[in-house]
Amino acid sequence: MTDIILILVGAILVNNFVLTQFLGLCPFMGVSGKVETAIGMSAATLFVLTLASACSYLVFQYLLVPLGLEYLKTISFIVVIAAVVSMTEIIMHKTSPLLYRILGIFLPLITSNCAVLGVALLNINQSNTFSHSVFYGFGAGLGFSLVLILFSAMREKLTLCDIPEPFQGAAIAMITAGLMSLAFMGFSGMV
Amino acid sequence: MPASLPLVSLLLSPVLALLGLGLLIGAVLGFVARKFRLENDPVVEKINDLLPQTQCGQCGYPGCKPYAEAIAAGDAINKCPPGGERTIKQLADLLNIPALPLDENYGQPDIKKVAFIREAECIGCAKCIPACPVDAILGAPRFIHTVIESECTGCDLCIEPCPVDCIDLVPVETHAPPGRTVEELNNEEILACINCGLCVEQCPVDILPHELYRACRGKDYAKAESLKLMHCIECGKCDRVCPSSIPLVEYYQATMQAFNIQQNDRSQADKAKQRFELHQLRMEKIKNEEEQRRQKRAELAKKGPQSKTKDTILAALERVKSKRKPN
Repeated sequence: MTDIILILVGAILVNNFVLTQFLGLCPFMGVSGKVETAIGMSAATLFVLTLASACSYLVFQYLLVPLGLEYLKTISFIVVIAAVVSMTEIIMHKTSPLLYRILGIFLPLITSNCAVLGVALLNINQSNTFSHSVFYGFGAGLGFSLVLILFSAMREKLTLCDIPEPFQGAAIAMITAGLMSLAFMGFSGMV
Repeated sequence: MPASLPLVSLLLSPVLALLGLGLLIGAVLGFVARKFRLENDPVVEKINDLLPQTQCGQCGYPGCKPYAEAIAAGDAINKCPPGGERTIKQLADLLNIPALPLDENYGQPDIKKVAFIREAECIGCAKCIPACPVDAILGAPRFIHTVIESECTGCDLCIEPCPVDCIDLVPVETHAPPGRTVEELNNEEILACINCGLCVEQCPVDILPHELYRACRGKDYAKAESLKLMHCIECGKCDRVCPSSIPLVEYYQATMQAFNIQQNDRSQADKAKQRFELHQLRMEKIKNEEEQRRQKRAELAKKGPQSKTKDTILAALERVKSKRKPN
């Protein structure tokens, strides 16, 4: 139990995938305009991360290792992730068409979200067990959701503020992200 | 071929493994796609609710609903002149896409107008009645027609069918709301809000005046409403303590006015939508009835003439015979 809590805290705060390891920055900047959109994106990414880390663990341990094909891990993980993302896309199109439309290209782009492939590969590198892999993926997803939602809330407030012209738009978002990243550095060495 | 054998065996297992993985994934995805198939798109309804429901067809589609369907399928959102910039902004917010300026090829945004029939010249031809998409014209053949002003959307579709050109579009008298608008206030040189919180302490109805000010300044009506804009009693206590002398109450008043206008337009549009749907139902019914009548007439025409003439000839013969008998 302790190890699972440690994995979760580590993945959410200490080694946050976005702000500490700088993985998955594309949706972090791209869909953080509104809180509702960010929540939708977070839910989708959380789902994909958890499912993809479980699936890629199973594929690695029960398909690639017995056949001695460990060198195929990157390509097969990408295939697995793409499949999970397509599945998420189909389900979301049915359950929440408006969110599906709002997320637009960013939904299929979860495939190329390097946090997802990163978690799958890190699980193999750290030789985690199945449950640890799943929780690591889940924690990574929670960490991603946390910073994405916090960041989108800040950006929502920023749109209503008097920002000097040269800093408007992406520039102030970058500065905000940098400050958030600095804040997350405070967690380093905690676990 | 012995030299190529090791290569084949080397490639065989990875190729088969990836093939198997692909097949498995394909099967799962196929199953999910079948299970979660989408029947009708609720996005169309949401888009349709934002359109002004004038049913004017200036966008090139026969009504607002078809245009909503086209937007959902990926058409541009800037083809609606009656909706103007505001509708474009709302659509952009809904669909999370950049707001474009209005496409001038589809017409200019205009002040609100309604149709007016010069009754002295109306000949009562009733041609404008089916043309009105919201059934706002009252009249019958050979009687003077008139427009129900509150129902007219100003779409100008009745002007073309009128044979004597007795319909005008007249601008609706709108009273400019008192006080300055949010734009005018935004253009003023105002010192920035420093979040000092003095206004929060003063507010007797527990609003967060500085937060509400930001929402009003950004014209985020939904946010302003959730920050209890409507609770403001305009006492002006926040105004007096603000160290940046921001005209807070004036901002709230302007936002309330803009919000009310928007609500009003919305309810008008909903009404127009209902009337348009009823109009379509009515037109459908009339068309069906006419079709039935035509069919009945065609059937009569097919067998009618012969039998009728035969009958009349027989009847005439009878008459002649009966007349001849007494002689």
